[in-house]
Amino acid sequence: MLELLKHEVQYVALSIMGLVYILKVFWILRFKPMKERTPGRGMEKKAIIASFFCLAMPWTMESTRKKWYKWLEFAVFHIGIAIAIVASFLIPEAPGLMTAAVVTIFKIIIAMSFFIVLLRLGRRMFSPVNKLISHPDDYFSVAMMVIWFFVAFFAMDMNESHWQFPAYFAITAFLIAYVPFSKMSHYILWPFSRYYFGKHFGHRGTYPKVKGEL
Amino acid sequence: MSNRQKSEKAQKATDSFKNKMNRQAILSFGVCVHCGMCTESCHYYLATRDPKMAPAYKADRVRKLYKKYFDFAGRLLPKWVGGGELEKDEDLQELMDIVFGSCTMCRRCTFNCPMGVDKALLMRTGRAIIYEQGYAPQGVLDVAKDQWEIGNQMGISDEDYLETIEWLNEEIKSELDDDTAEIPLDKPNCNIVFAVNPREIKYAPMSLLAAAKIFHVAGESWTMSSTKGWDNTNFGLFAGDNKLGAHMGNLVYDTVEKLNGKMLVTSECGHGYRATVWEAPNWAARDLKFPMYSFLEIMVDYVKTGRIILDKTKNPVSVTYHDPCNLARSGGITEEPRFLLQQSVMDFREMYPNRADNFCCTGGGGAMSMSEYAKRRLESAKVKADQLKETGAGICATACHNCVDGLTDLIKFYKLGMKVNLVGELVADAIVWEKKPVIPVIEEVVEAHAPFTVMVIDDEPDVVTFLSTLFQDSGYNTLEATSAAEAFAWLKTAKPDLITLDLIMPGVSGLDIYKDLKTDGANRDIPVVVISGVNPENPGLYDMRKLQFEHSLPKPEGYVEKPIVKEELLMIIDKVLDHYKHKK
Repeated sequence: MLELLKHEVQYVALSIMGLVYILKVFWILRFKPMKERTPGRGMEKKAIIASFFCLAMPWTMESTRKKWYKWLEFAVFHIGIAIAIVASFLIPEAPGLMTAAVVTIFKIIIAMSFFIVLLRLGRRMFSPVNKLISHPDDYFSVAMMVIWFFVAFFAMDMNESHWQFPAYFAITAFLIAYVPFSKMSHYILWPFSRYYFGKHFGHRGTYPKVKGEL
Repeated sequence: MSNRQKSEKAQKATDSFKNKMNRQAILSFGVCVHCGMCTESCHYYLATRDPKMAPAYKADRVRKLYKKYFDFAGRLLPKWVGGGELEKDEDLQELMDIVFGSCTMCRRCTFNCPMGVDKALLMRTGRAIIYEQGYAPQGVLDVAKDQWEIGNQMGISDEDYLETIEWLNEEIKSELDDDTAEIPLDKPNCNIVFAVNPREIKYAPMSLLAAAKIFHVAGESWTMSSTKGWDNTNFGLFAGDNKLGAHMGNLVYDTVEKLNGKMLVTSECGHGYRATVWEAPNWAARDLKFPMYSFLEIMVDYVKTGRIILDKTKNPVSVTYHDPCNLARSGGITEEPRFLLQQSVMDFREMYPNRADNFCCTGGGGAMSMSEYAKRRLESAKVKADQLKETGAGICATACHNCVDGLTDLIKFYKLGMKVNLVGELVADAIVWEKKPVIPVIEEVVEAHAPFTVMVIDDEPDVVTFLSTLFQDSGYNTLEATSAAEAFAWLKTAKPDLITLDLIMPGVSGLDIYKDLKTDGANRDIPVVVISGVNPENPGLYDMRKLQFEHSLPKPEGYVEKPIVKEELLMIIDKVLDHYKHKK
């Protein structure tokens, strides 16, 4: 059963995610983009690149500049997700890479991610604004992350006798398959969204934001 | 609820929503993760701390349709992802309150969204689907109607427009002491075809006068249309009506082509610039052969090439600059006004935050025509008021007529004691040119005004005395009234040629007097110039626009804000009486 969870189930889940992602990309491309007929004033390509890198440049947005801790949470949290997913394939396929040092680093980041996502769940439940804008999918996705990071932390020890180990693989598989149907599908929409943001505002010369002399 | 149970309008709005989805829209609708990072970028939220003013919440009121009809999971389990329907007419009404009443589509949240959600696009989509069903603030509906039927947003007839231009020609000739100075109409093959905001014709001719002065001194070859095609504003942008947007754009573009102009220049109007230069070519599906610029860009060129010379000592008062949203976030114009102000004023002070991070004047998105939301607008203006106060400047310059109105309102409401000017006006004031000394022939002016009688209605005796003295010194006869009763007692025995009316008066307010005047057969043809401020206690009640819409009253012939600038008031009175005389 554990072997099935570690291998076949993971790949089935990954296949579902891949298939739905491909379908989603085709679905997005079915919609015609707005056609721009005006001559550009700015640099579209530069703006598109800047738009993609906005998350790596928190100083470029007032929201991330002022709430730098939220940006830090975001960064650690997403690194944690990447690590937890990568580990779910490293453990069964390349356990030799999971050295003591790697496991320690993974555990630190996953632990930090756990507390961050717990904080985010709390915010959704108690902050008036976040509460108001949250739907069941928002709560469910974040709650699943809390559980996932919790079991992932212990699963990094690769002790198959701990209940967290099979739970980690089961939840990973579930999440991978669930992602395309949830808010977590922003992974697939985000590159398109940032591309059009950069293209639109870059065309008008308003992005990247202007500072300085004429 | 099934589709059959929906009201007809709700069904049509839903169908319209489905048809409006393009790639950018589905991405902006779909990518939001409800992180709330946009929340503190919105002035409505910052001023009220009301969670329902958070941009993500407001966008979700429209997004629910996307979730229900387009989202993969939402089609099966809409409630799970926040999907929902428009079911009743009341839902459209409720949506109107959000998309029109609590968002100016300033795009500040858009620029602060890590996901790249263009919430203004979502709000405009929301506006579009309900506007098509007749759900929009009355002011928006009326202005849109005027643009469709008359070709400009203030319903100015060709006759009135031409008379104003004629009057402005006299002013510019007099100011520059040059008979060749004028606002040329329908002149073919010019370098510039100029399109303006109708407010410049109706209420704020000083800015058109300033532009005419700058063009003249720069030796520019320019012209304006004598009929439709001079209005650069476009309520298609605010109403979400791309057809109206295309119509207004086409009027202006056709004018440029008909006159064989080399370029189109829009006067200082934020949304007018955005709509004309960036949006309408797309709405009209038109590939234009001529370039389009903001007047700000043209002025910068004049200064840099030495076509106009500026003397900043002529503007000694400290000046700050407010970035209109449609220029800074949607139009790419942030440095030009700063360059011009640094060249034309002694003490330029930056406002913080500025450029694309600046806050909305709170009058954007057509908010100034939505009197039903005036109270909320002014409440949200606290953020802008704090920003302005922080600068300590005496003048707030901006490059948008809408912003002028929005800022003027909030400055009065929060008692900031600042003045608002357009950049072009300050540039015009700073222009150095050889002017022959003009010796006003007072006797001639007095003689010209002598046949006219102006009635002053204001509850404050000091103001009545001040205005009466001002008018008498200019040669007018005057009648004075400090209440409605006094005013109507006078009107039984005398018929003034013009009435100046204060709106905020105890008891029978100026609005009631205006209504009675304009519905009274004997007096309704007397032109009225409203002279008023804003009542901080209840701005909505004293809103002239609201009264007009509710009682189908004509617009006042003139409008002057308090504190009164004598020259401006006399110029407006002169203009109105001149027009009145021609009509008679």
